[in-house]
Amino acid sequence: MSRTCGRIGQYVLVLWVAGTLNFALPRLAPGDPVAYVYGGDAQALSERQLAALRETFGLDRSLAEQYAGFWTGLLRGDLGTSVQDSRPVVDVLAERLPWTVALVGTATALAFVLGSLLGAWAAWRRGSKRDAAVTSAVLAVDAMPGFWIAMVAVAVFAVQLGWFPSYGAVALDGQGLGAAGEVVSRMVLPVATLALAGIGGFFLLARAAMVGVLDEPFVRLARAKGLRESRVAVVHGLRTALLPVFTNLALAIGALLSGAVVVETVFAYPGLGSLIFEAVTVRDYPLLQGAFLLVTVGIVGANLLADLAYPLLDPRLRRVRAPRGTQLRQVVVRG
Amino acid sequence: MNRRLMPALLTCVLLAGCAVGSGAAAPGAGRGDGGQTGPAAAQRLTIALAKDSGPLNIFADQSPAIDELVYDKLLAPSPYVDQPRPWLATAVRQLDPSTWEADLRDDVRWQDGERFDADDVAFSFDYFKKAPTGTYTHHVSDVPTIETITALSPTKVRFVCAFPCPELGTVTLADLPVIAEHIWAGVPPDKAKQVTSLPVGTGPYRLVSYDSAAGYRFEANPDYFAGAPVVQELVMPVISDASATFPALRSGEVDATTRPLPPELIDPFTSSNDVGVVKTAPLRFPELRVNYDRAPFDQPAFRAALSRAIDRDQLVAVVGLGKGRAALQGYPHPDAPFANPTLSTPYEPEQAREMLDQLGLVDRDGDGTREGPAGPLAFTILANGAAPQDVRSAELIAEDLREVGLGATARGLDAGSVADVAKTRDFDLVIGAIGPHGAADPTQFIMSHRSGYLWRAPKLPYPEWDALFADWKATTTVEDRLAVLDQMQVLFNRQPTSIPLYYPDEYWAFRPDRFAGWVESPGYGVVHKWSLLPPQVGRDAGAVVAVGR
Repeated sequence: MSRTCGRIGQYVLVLWVAGTLNFALPRLAPGDPVAYVYGGDAQALSERQLAALRETFGLDRSLAEQYAGFWTGLLRGDLGTSVQDSRPVVDVLAERLPWTVALVGTATALAFVLGSLLGAWAAWRRGSKRDAAVTSAVLAVDAMPGFWIAMVAVAVFAVQLGWFPSYGAVALDGQGLGAAGEVVSRMVLPVATLALAGIGGFFLLARAAMVGVLDEPFVRLARAKGLRESRVAVVHGLRTALLPVFTNLALAIGALLSGAVVVETVFAYPGLGSLIFEAVTVRDYPLLQGAFLLVTVGIVGANLLADLAYPLLDPRLRRVRAPRGTQLRQVVVRG
Repeated sequence: MNRRLMPALLTCVLLAGCAVGSGAAAPGAGRGDGGQTGPAAAQRLTIALAKDSGPLNIFADQSPAIDELVYDKLLAPSPYVDQPRPWLATAVRQLDPSTWEADLRDDVRWQDGERFDADDVAFSFDYFKKAPTGTYTHHVSDVPTIETITALSPTKVRFVCAFPCPELGTVTLADLPVIAEHIWAGVPPDKAKQVTSLPVGTGPYRLVSYDSAAGYRFEANPDYFAGAPVVQELVMPVISDASATFPALRSGEVDATTRPLPPELIDPFTSSNDVGVVKTAPLRFPELRVNYDRAPFDQPAFRAALSRAIDRDQLVAVVGLGKGRAALQGYPHPDAPFANPTLSTPYEPEQAREMLDQLGLVDRDGDGTREGPAGPLAFTILANGAAPQDVRSAELIAEDLREVGLGATARGLDAGSVADVAKTRDFDLVIGAIGPHGAADPTQFIMSHRSGYLWRAPKLPYPEWDALFADWKATTTVEDRLAVLDQMQVLFNRQPTSIPLYYPDEYWAFRPDRFAGWVESPGYGVVHKWSLLPPQVGRDAGAVVAVGR
């Protein structure tokens, strides 16, 4: 318990540092919202009117006051009002979050499952022509930029074949099952693009880990016992090899909340990635702070969960409570 | 990946995507020549918007072509035509140099059923004075300065200006939308930007839903005073990236877009069987802004030399792919109603060299770059790095300047940083773009000299300009004002602080099988209310011009 509390304390500290950085980063970039929102017309405003606008955006206060306001607002659950949308940041983020979770979450899950299975399969047949072919193909896809895959997908599957819509997440007037079907069909191309773009990492990790595991004595023992090849591969090999892949998955889940800027842009998908991109462009400080905070919480939370989950996945990392008066020791279980 | 390759790569894929499946139509077979054929009415159109303007709060964000689906103005269609005609007003007249009266229609209702009257007009102009918008503010609080707006009766309103305001009837009343008093009276002006409820106007369409994920949905106003629209429903998703917009148009998912075709897509789309293309002459242009606060750009003769050193023919050929005109008539746009037709800003590099020599800016050490009192004359040309055309323009201009012995380097920044350096004036030269409001509105031309954009009068000394401005203020008729404006334009282009690069043509793609009633309204492209109203309405209002000019 004390170890868990210590970990949580570390993460609170990390969140504070990250929150401070979230506050500082948007302000380190040149410009402020008034400059962008009003563009050239900002120069048509009088000093009094500009001052009123700066007051509206809270830019008339000192940096220290803004920082204090940021934290007090945060503690109240108030992330401020978006400069661009004139709506509470929480509402804007809540509107976009489900789309990103659905899009990036589905794509990450697909990439994880396919990448891991393909990697394990390639490792099982390491050195064969099939291994070389699959590895080359995955590496080739991995080398392609996401936007390239996205645009080719649109050109082929939306424009030429007309199988899937090319943009957006939802029809404006959809209702019921039809609307759900519309959402799914609009998700196909961006999910496929993101999954393809992300499969390489999982594949390579799974393959490398599996290759290492397959030389372990416990795998040889499993074979020697006469177990089916598939059982040896999946139960004894893949399960053990998945730990580094799981670490990669935890990182991907953490980054999930930052969206997928390029793919969301190409598919005009209303996720957090495109929102953050627009917010950076207009220097929407409150929205940037809120979005960065969400991303930070996502990454820190995913790391915390990974930390806590490792011992469940790998018995070698479990600690056992020793009898009073003795020191804790790590129990190492092989195979 | 190499940054230089990225735009080329994107363009190739975009071209491939957009060209896929296009038929091999015979050139000129009714495409791109303005002679489009197809339905003149539609039940529903899907139009891709290039940007999300939120719930159309005109105090927070202005997209005039879309805003004016909901709102109307006293005169139509805009300040970008010679003589706007009565719209919500039935007549406007100048009683004396500083006083105007407008008679209003008595058959107009707001979209919520309330009756429109003179109190709404008086309230609107008064509210614009109190709620800063940037775009509209100067029209009521500076040039001109409207001191009082009085509703004399339900159908008559009087405007009194602080000094003669003959352009009220050609510019101001054709520029400001009228808002509903019963909606906005309860909103303190300093909170106007925060309103997120859907707008209520008198216009031909009512915004019935807005969702940042799905976009906008408008329904036709069947009781519109000028006649019911020919398209019953407009669905407008926001597709902010060109690489998504045009494939969606090509696949038939959208029927039109508020984004003009990029030059590289004009030919593939024009030769397509499925897509129609019309050409318009937009009142906008890319410009090179010159920081007149910083030496040596603070010297009129240096700015004059700079203007002569830039090869605009090359810019339109290379950057604009030949789709437009070289900007050899300076600022404003030559199609603006107040443009002086005699303006000339030629490319004369030899003369530029002579002018620089006469300023004592010569290359003393023989390294190819002239020296000034503070050392070598080397400048940075800033551009929005996300806009490949701007970056290429900056590179070409840098080459032109080096040809006359001025060191110059192109540098890309993100859009927010470009806006910031423009505001703080922390630049030598920066590539920008100016739209109809700046390029074709005569009062904005004056205002731009007072706001800091083109000059900062009267704080920054400019005796010649100040004298012309005094003359301008003293004139009492539109004709006299235009005469002074002619002189102002000559003065400006002799020593410009903004150098137009080229006047681009705009090409608009649409699905002619769904709707082909698109017409051009100056400064608005083709997606605007005049395309969606019965054709005679736009013609009677003097709001449209033939496309494909």
